[in-house]
Amino acid sequence: MAGAPPGHTIPSYAASHAGSPSRHMSQYPSTTVTTTTTSSSALVSGTPAPTSTLSSTLRYPSTRKTIYDRNLNRSRNAELSRSSFAYLFMEMVSYAHRRVKGIQDFEKRLNEQGYPLGLKLLDLLLYRAGPGASSTSLTSSSSTSSSGGGAAHRPLRLLPLLTLLTTKLYPLLFSRPADSLEQSTTNPAEYMIIDNTPLTNQYISVPKEMNQLSVAAYIAGIIEGVCDGAGFECKASAHNTGTDVWPNRTVFLIRFEDHVLEREKELERQGVK
Amino acid sequence: MPDAGINLLRQSAIPQVWLRGGPVFALLIISKAGSLIYHRTFPTSATGTAGAGGTTQPQTVGTLGLPGTSTLSTNDYLVIAGTFHGVHAITRSLTPRIPIPPSAAGPSGRSWTYPDPETPPSGIESLESSFFRLTVFQTLSGTKFLLFTDPSMPNTDVLMKGVYERYADYVCKNPFWQMEMPIRIDAWERSLNQWLTRR
Amino acid sequence: MASGQKAARVGEEVWKTRVDKVNAELVTLTYGTVVAQLCTDYEYDYVQVNQQLDKMGYNIGMRLIEDFLAKSNIGRCGNFRDTAEMISKKVGFKIFLNITPTVTNWTADNKQFSLLFDENPLADFVELPDDGRAQDELWFSNIFCGILRGALEMVQMSIEARFVSDVLRGNDVTEMRVTLLRYTEDEMPPDDE
Repeated sequence: MAGAPPGHTIPSYAASHAGSPSRHMSQYPSTTVTTTTTSSSALVSGTPAPTSTLSSTLRYPSTRKTIYDRNLNRSRNAELSRSSFAYLFMEMVSYAHRRVKGIQDFEKRLNEQGYPLGLKLLDLLLYRAGPGASSTSLTSSSSTSSSGGGAAHRPLRLLPLLTLLTTKLYPLLFSRPADSLEQSTTNPAEYMIIDNTPLTNQYISVPKEMNQLSVAAYIAGIIEGVCDGAGFECKASAHNTGTDVWPNRTVFLIRFEDHVLEREKELERQGVK
Repeated sequence: MPDAGINLLRQSAIPQVWLRGGPVFALLIISKAGSLIYHRTFPTSATGTAGAGGTTQPQTVGTLGLPGTSTLSTNDYLVIAGTFHGVHAITRSLTPRIPIPPSAAGPSGRSWTYPDPETPPSGIESLESSFFRLTVFQTLSGTKFLLFTDPSMPNTDVLMKGVYERYADYVCKNPFWQMEMPIRIDAWERSLNQWLTRR
Repeated sequence: MASGQKAARVGEEVWKTRVDKVNAELVTLTYGTVVAQLCTDYEYDYVQVNQQLDKMGYNIGMRLIEDFLAKSNIGRCGNFRDTAEMISKKVGFKIFLNITPTVTNWTADNKQFSLLFDENPLADFVELPDDGRAQDELWFSNIFCGILRGALEMVQMSIEARFVSDVLRGNDVTEMRVTLLRYTEDEMPPDDE
């Protein structure tokens, strides 16, 4: 194999994941481990440590259509039909429905399925926002860098993180920013992202007996994954707040952990932006 | 105007011509297996342009949403659906089958062909009385849509296609709806409101 | 092939004008998390994961056919070759995934063909687990087989579909084999005269 081993091809992966909270790593052992090792959707893979890479038994096509040979930005502006997402998500919800007990369990499962996307998308967002984003050579300069050779810095303060969610994550996923970002007036640890037309809810009406359920819990899981990956441990949940004009209007409630707020205060005192 | 802004793309694509025609009275959907999975009547006594009907004062809305007619029970609707399903199948079987030489037989090994091999036998496509027209559309997958409108309403095929698209979106993509089961879906009702009752 | 070109035009037209779009990476990642969930739920028994993916695809296919028919506005196919052109190659995959897999390797009786996937959005940026089994047992994109089976069943065609190679397994091509078992014509009058 002439190609560089996986651990060396993608910049800053190890760094950001080493920085991922252990709480969530242990709380979501199955999903996190699964997606990183399966790399089933590994936009940003690279989990294998160098030692395991050396003993890799994986076979690669001679056409070299592998994740290591293809440009990470290749699919940046690619589009698929919205139906393809709708049907996939429909079956995901339907499958979950058969295996859960109650609304809470249902939302937890959808959240957990979105969470690994958030972890990966954080890296992808930072990578694309950085100065090396247009570079096709991923192996230059960044192979040993743990602070993100070609990638942008991850946010350190709450506001930049939340802005990243509404103005970078949202456009990446849904081709538009979120509709608004609000801070709770009663709890300084709580923020709300408001989406009038969440993609997950577009074709899904929940039955009356489950009217507390929001299938946008999947998006909440993505948000939670991004925040956790960036070191802002939180819980994110989705809540139906439909109006006549916006029947699917959804509020994503993000509640940060106490220590995140303490750090925020300390950083503010030190003048870190 | 409820639901403004939902599905803007579709709204802008609505042809305006048929809106000048008469109202839509009712929509029924019969599943592949022949059971009634949806029925809804649309109020026709709303103020404004009432098309050829001309009724302006509110009245009791009866069968098929037509004012002054007797009201059918759910059971009556089930009978209508079942009967129509059977009649439709019979009319379908009245499509001629033209013998073809064995050498030209297709992969299905049939020894005959329909007059137009590209067109499946359709069965009843429309039924008209002096008060309403029933437009029938059967999808290739066997679901039947029955639309009752004022006979003067033009372009019911366009109307029907819009209904089918909304069915594909709001019914088929909903994980909480099971095939062959009755349709009780808010988003579907909302999209029908937009498509069939705006005037 | 006149019908092939016509189908291609229909596909391109529908894709450009009638199809609401979504970011491709969201779909890729969502499929990834679905497969990952199955691997967890079935404890990395890849044979079961394949079956489950096929089953999910079947559920999707039975409903997806309505979207396809409602949007493409095409009639019934005259024969299985047309079906291959229309549903699989030019219009079907085109309007959902914006790809046009190659239809090839027909058998003499016109009942079996292959779809070669040059691109596969579901498997973008995917590497199978390096556990010594996944590359031999898992068909990552197996949901496609179920989708085709479910969709065609709704238009009275009983088929079998299975992958025979996949670049994710180290093969040079991703190939699905599709076999027509029979036309069901369940609503047609009896055929026995």
